Amino acid sequence: MKIQPPKRPLQFLRWFCREDYLDEIEGDLIEVFIKQSETSPRKAKWKFAWSVIKYFRPAFIKQMKQQPNPYGMYKSYFKISVRQLIKNKTFTAINISVLTLGFTCFLLLALYLHDELSFDMFHRDAHTIYRITQRDQQDNGTLRNISAVAPTIGKEVQEQFPEVEDMVRLSAFGRVTLGNDPTNRTHERALSADDNFFTFFDFPLVEGDAKTALKEPFTIVVSETIKEKYFGTGSALGKQIWSGYRREGQPIYLTVGGVMKNFPKNSHLQIDILFSDATWHSLYNDYAQYVTTEWVDTEYTTYLKIKPQSNIASLGTRIDALVKSNYPANREFRSSFTLQPMQEIHTNSSQLESAADEFNANGIKPFYLYTFAALGLILLITACLNYMNLATAVAIKRTREIGTRKTLGAPKTQMVAQFITDSMLFTLLSLLLSVALVYLVLPWINIFANKEISISALPVEWLIFVVVIIVLVGVLAALYPAFIATRVSIVDALKREIKIGGRSFSVRKALLIMQFAISVMMIASTLIIYQQLNYLREKDLGFSHENLVVIDVNSRNLRRNFETVKTEFGKPAEILQVAASTRVPGEWKSFPVATTRSSENPTGSEMIFVGIDKDFLETYKIKLLAGRSIEDPVADSLKIVVTQLAVEQLGLISDPIGQTIEIPRVRYGERMEELEAPFRVEIIGVVENFHFESLRSKQMPVIFGALNTEIQVIDYYTLQINTSNWGNTLETLKAINNKIDPDTPLEYTFLDTRFEEMYVADARRGQIFLVLSVIVVIIASLGLFALVSYSVESRLKEIGVRKVMGASISSIVALISKEFLLLVTIAGAIGLPIAGYFMQGWLQEFAYHIPFGVLVFAEALLVTLVIAFITITARTIRAARLNPVNSLRSE
Amino acid sequence: MTQQSLGEFEELVLLMVAAQHDEAYGVTILEGLEEKLDKKVNISAVHVALKRMEDKGFVKSRFGGITEDRGGRRKKFYVITALGKKMLDAQYDLRNSIYKQIPKISFG
Repeated sequence: MKIQPPKRPLQFLRWFCREDYLDEIEGDLIEVFIKQSETSPRKAKWKFAWSVIKYFRPAFIKQMKQQPNPYGMYKSYFKISVRQLIKNKTFTAINISVLTLGFTCFLLLALYLHDELSFDMFHRDAHTIYRITQRDQQDNGTLRNISAVAPTIGKEVQEQFPEVEDMVRLSAFGRVTLGNDPTNRTHERALSADDNFFTFFDFPLVEGDAKTALKEPFTIVVSETIKEKYFGTGSALGKQIWSGYRREGQPIYLTVGGVMKNFPKNSHLQIDILFSDATWHSLYNDYAQYVTTEWVDTEYTTYLKIKPQSNIASLGTRIDALVKSNYPANREFRSSFTLQPMQEIHTNSSQLESAADEFNANGIKPFYLYTFAALGLILLITACLNYMNLATAVAIKRTREIGTRKTLGAPKTQMVAQFITDSMLFTLLSLLLSVALVYLVLPWINIFANKEISISALPVEWLIFVVVIIVLVGVLAALYPAFIATRVSIVDALKREIKIGGRSFSVRKALLIMQFAISVMMIASTLIIYQQLNYLREKDLGFSHENLVVIDVNSRNLRRNFETVKTEFGKPAEILQVAASTRVPGEWKSFPVATTRSSENPTGSEMIFVGIDKDFLETYKIKLLAGRSIEDPVADSLKIVVTQLAVEQLGLISDPIGQTIEIPRVRYGERMEELEAPFRVEIIGVVENFHFESLRSKQMPVIFGALNTEIQVIDYYTLQINTSNWGNTLETLKAINNKIDPDTPLEYTFLDTRFEEMYVADARRGQIFLVLSVIVVIIASLGLFALVSYSVESRLKEIGVRKVMGASISSIVALISKEFLLLVTIAGAIGLPIAGYFMQGWLQEFAYHIPFGVLVFAEALLVTLVIAFITITARTIRAARLNPVNSLRSE
Repeated sequence: MTQQSLGEFEELVLLMVAAQHDEAYGVTILEGLEEKLDKKVNISAVHVALKRMEDKGFVKSRFGGITEDRGGRRKKFYVITALGKKMLDAQYDLRNSIYKQIPKISFG
């Protein structure tokens, strides 16, 4: 065997050594090496390598090639790129739209993500602010997470722990009535806060002093919106506003202590009216005692400012110990406390129940954030993959140019530079277009997502990052076609007979499959979401919620004289039915759940308890199956009507009417209350099952009792109305309300709307998916179009020959479509199971959902195939129609 | 300085080129030197010297034919030029003249 010199050093030598010296040096080196190998081969190898290294000196190293005038070359690249762009109009249009779509989605998602991540970060001390959250172990073993704690905790923690620099407490006590005078008033949502609220947070005040705005009792700070509503455009500082009555009957007037700028949308706190905490001290004598001794209540959302470098986890356990030592002796301490950093409040609060939902407003699970980020990247990648596909297809058409360049001695680097210039041109054009597009669509998105996103809000680092990513992607996308194009041999290139190797074609097929897999996934998901939403809307809930207006009872007057109120409401002709009840289906407040037991079911089952009057069942069209309904609130106060499901759970199927059942305890939301003595009632009627809650939860049994039982008092009137002239009806209702109870404004809801709102987040998700799937499908279709174009382009002669031999247009279309439709089907086989996996998870959130069948997947695949087929046909039919003379003549 | 210089190692290589007239290429020069000097010399040093002297015009080179045993690489043969010869002569004369001035010193 012949002795070979070591490979690596030789390669290295060939790489750096001057061409004109190489023969001599390499030859000599090899000769010496061979001679030495005869005595000691190993040493010879080392010696060879060592010598090579010694040659690595200026005298032997190649001269760097100097471009005589690089500017001229770049100008030429640019010129050629522009010509190319104009020459292949279809390709240019497709390319630019694909890239623009991809970039736009990427930019928008970056903006969205940035907005989500920058939530609450406008406070100077955002990084040192924490919210105390509480976790309770409940009787039934489940955990309850609350974002509010007892009033004492904040105060004590601030006093006892030196690392706590500042503390502020907010209480979402509910709503207040406000008005310029007692006859003109509205309900407004309000919170109260400690007086350091405006120094703790950085919510700027338009009027008033941040330090003193909330000092005095009966002062409020209002947002600009509220100010304009009640005081017009002028200054409001020091002005007074009427707000209800004291218990003794005197009116309460509030003084405006400040006007705050409307809170930015990327704040988890959204407050319009803020009361001073001092107000409660003046209003209630025992308030001071309450806030210094109460350790159990969870009413105060408490924020702490903590010195940097403090041990946050240990602070939590120290709060545990503090609360435990002060806990009332008759109660078991089963809570633990954690400090939730400000930047996590928005993204990581979905498991938290709070004293008021507004604290968690807009909360989006981190999972969805990541999904969005992933989608943005996928769209960007898809767009670039398509660009690669298209550019490669075009590069093949440019073989003659490449061949000529090669013949004239263009080195690889120059050809790559040409392709990169091409790609940069596309990329930059698309980038400009997509920025313009983002500006155009951003206002819509802001309305849709209830956000205030703007491009200018994006910090420079993000902008640079986004642009760098996009440009980088552009360059990377150019490298593949450049690689393909520069690899071909000159002769092939000049003969225009480029055969892209089987392998690289399958790479492009794989890219296509991936895109269609994503498309089919999105289509299937969108279909499922819409079918489910439709199902939710159409499903028979067991009662009618059409044309029902629910009036919220907010005052004693409306509650006490309910018979008169009912008659008054019933008088106008457009009001067809009036019913009073404690709760209504689709309930938005917490509703009582009674543990109900019978002789057959001694442990009892949980059932929703609703107090109704005689018109309730008819108003809601709930079908009475046996017996009668509650007729008189007094005579029937110990009677109940139950649903079939309740009958089953109580084990009284054979003869429910006349049976007596017991209610030993009632749960209000999370709070369980034992009744002093079990509430014993007799079943007098059975009604058909109906869904009291949203279809997310399993249907629960319902028991109807009389109004004003010890369980709950009347809270709603339900009016069945004729909606033909709602404006007038509303005025009539207001007038009636004013007559009965001049102090409280009318509060009403359409039950239909209420049911729609239960699924509003899902409907929104559906819309997002719809838009995204349209975009994904467009990108994928354009990609397919490009690939088909390439295929058709390179098979023109074949098509010509076939036509000459008598092939019909449809058979030619079928011939080319077949292959691509197969690819799309494969994509379906990949994408559908993934969609199935995710959508099944989503459907599981609903206790009632559409059957998870193959049909929807078949539909999704069919839709994709049809779209693909239209795309393919659009391109092939032109080629198939061509006169074969044209394609064959060139031979 | 118009007078071109010739380093010590360069001089040795140039002598070897002259001695192996028309037969000298990298490896033969290397071997010749190693034999005469009785020590290992690195081939790269020889090449560096040759290139320098070629730039200075002391040697000229031509390519030989392709042979199998050198990995298909051609040999490059070096021949001394007239200038090179003159340089060697001058060097030789210089040394000789100075040598002749040495008085008779006897070292034991």
